[in-house]
Amino acid sequence: MDDYAVGVLTNIGLFGFLAISAYLLLLAGEMSFGQQAFFGVGAYSGGMLTAMFGWPLPLAAIAAMGLGALAALMVALPTLRLRGLYFAMATLAAAEMARIGFELLHWQVEIEGEKIGPEGTQGFRSIRWVFENGVEPGAYLAIIWLMLAAVVAAILALERARLGATLRGVGEDPELAAALGVDVTRFKLGVAAVAGALAAFGGVLYAHHNTYVEPRNFDIMLGVHSLAYALIGGLGTVFGPLLGVIVDLGLLEGSRFFQGYRMIVFGGLVALLLVFRPRGLLDERMVRWLKQRFS
Amino acid sequence: MLFDLMQNTLDGLAAGASYALLAVGFTLIFGVLRRVNLSYGPAIMLGCYAATLVHLHFGAGLLVLAIVCVLATVLAGAFVERLCFAPHRRGSAIAAMVASFALWMQLEEAAILALPKHLYAFPGLYEGAPLEVAGFTVRIEALVMLGAAVLVCVLLWWTLYRTRFGVAARSVIDSPLAAELSGISVGRVSMGVFALASAIGGLAGFLISASVEQVTPMLGMWSTLKGLLAMMLGGLGSLPGAVVGALVLGLVEAHSQWFLGPQLRDFIAFLLLFVLLAIGPRWMTTR
Repeated sequence: MDDYAVGVLTNIGLFGFLAISAYLLLLAGEMSFGQQAFFGVGAYSGGMLTAMFGWPLPLAAIAAMGLGALAALMVALPTLRLRGLYFAMATLAAAEMARIGFELLHWQVEIEGEKIGPEGTQGFRSIRWVFENGVEPGAYLAIIWLMLAAVVAAILALERARLGATLRGVGEDPELAAALGVDVTRFKLGVAAVAGALAAFGGVLYAHHNTYVEPRNFDIMLGVHSLAYALIGGLGTVFGPLLGVIVDLGLLEGSRFFQGYRMIVFGGLVALLLVFRPRGLLDERMVRWLKQRFS
Repeated sequence: MLFDLMQNTLDGLAAGASYALLAVGFTLIFGVLRRVNLSYGPAIMLGCYAATLVHLHFGAGLLVLAIVCVLATVLAGAFVERLCFAPHRRGSAIAAMVASFALWMQLEEAAILALPKHLYAFPGLYEGAPLEVAGFTVRIEALVMLGAAVLVCVLLWWTLYRTRFGVAARSVIDSPLAAELSGISVGRVSMGVFALASAIGGLAGFLISASVEQVTPMLGMWSTLKGLLAMMLGGLGSLPGAVVGALVLGLVEAHSQWFLGPQLRDFIAFLLLFVLLAIGPRWMTTR
């Protein structure tokens, strides 16, 4: 595989975590415009732990996931009572606050004569754990995709279990779910925390792949992209959001064929697709059909 | 100190007037369609880029540029309505919103392909020195903006409350089903309201570009964010509310910029929205 293909595949894997994070919340009936904030929390906290404090990456990733879940809970607790658009706007406001928070973050320590740490709008350089520990790009790619596969497997198992039915039930008809004895608010808080942790995990891996992050990476564009990935790929299965990422990053960006016109093609394609399949390519009906066909 | 406070208040009102124009357009679309049009700002950006293109090639005057800007924004708005909102009128609000985001990408890239530099000069609204009133600086551009905002609000009120189209639009806002049953074509009213909102947006875009004397690719996201913020602060879906929200946003920004700097200015605006949504009165979040 050439470097370019490795780069594209790595990016698909990284943004896959974010797309799955948005997907889980969409299943629970909540549209979040703010998952990019938790991606950013993961990127910054994970990067700081390895580059500034010398933690090993696996440990830093676990800590960053915890922070991501905590941040997601802090946003969700006061906003979950809001419906639809209000929740979306509240999460957007929270995410923009986080982004400005990154802009205001100046904290550097001196390591071997070099100042390392976030420098406000200048970004955060030298997140070099992966490079310094001799992890080749191909190996890092394999790690990312193994982790992603584990997440996908966990969600597939969850969807088969009772929990999956509860998740879709809460999303489709919260009153009915409450009448059946589900504590809807607590359930949604749990989903928000898991989604936040997943986004943060993607963020840690992203920061260590790029070795450089800046606040602008985590603006609203990223958040709406992750929603769009989940929605165009389809809400019927966890492979939906991944398909969304593959269509955007793999087919359009990766093929180099649409250079300069990528957004025009992608935008038109998505708008047209949503006219015919408002719940995405792999929507519930398609998934049921595929299951009957291949089981 | 007091002097600065007064000057900031004046500046805030001027910014608020431009936000009001953006928020009114947003609110019209939301009121009639119950959908958020994320492409609202990018359509305005496309209008301003079209005007810049005409200015660069033909050196056209301000009036021509204003007309080009409004027309191009209305065209872009119609495109968005056909592709994102007409097909989803009875369907999913999320699908419509994501579709409008997809067209945001499209409009923005089209504008950048036409004018690829990071910044273009736009002819200024007024070349002379700002007015000095009792020691305060008042920009002529700000007065024009305020005047335009008031004029648009009056015209809008007249359209909504004194014309047949207005009756139809208000009945669709109250209940699309009842409007449909009494023979009003909801589709046509939506189209009309979209065109009206886009025209207001185009005017806002022109006035904003002409007072900052430049256009950049950030204009699209900026307009969408400011318009959404002002609309939400005003309690979503009410026109007077949108104007109040826009003025509040302008004032809060002007004062926090003065005391805390530009980064915290934006932080405070989002914090205000977050707090209002999280612990604000229930009527604000149940419309």
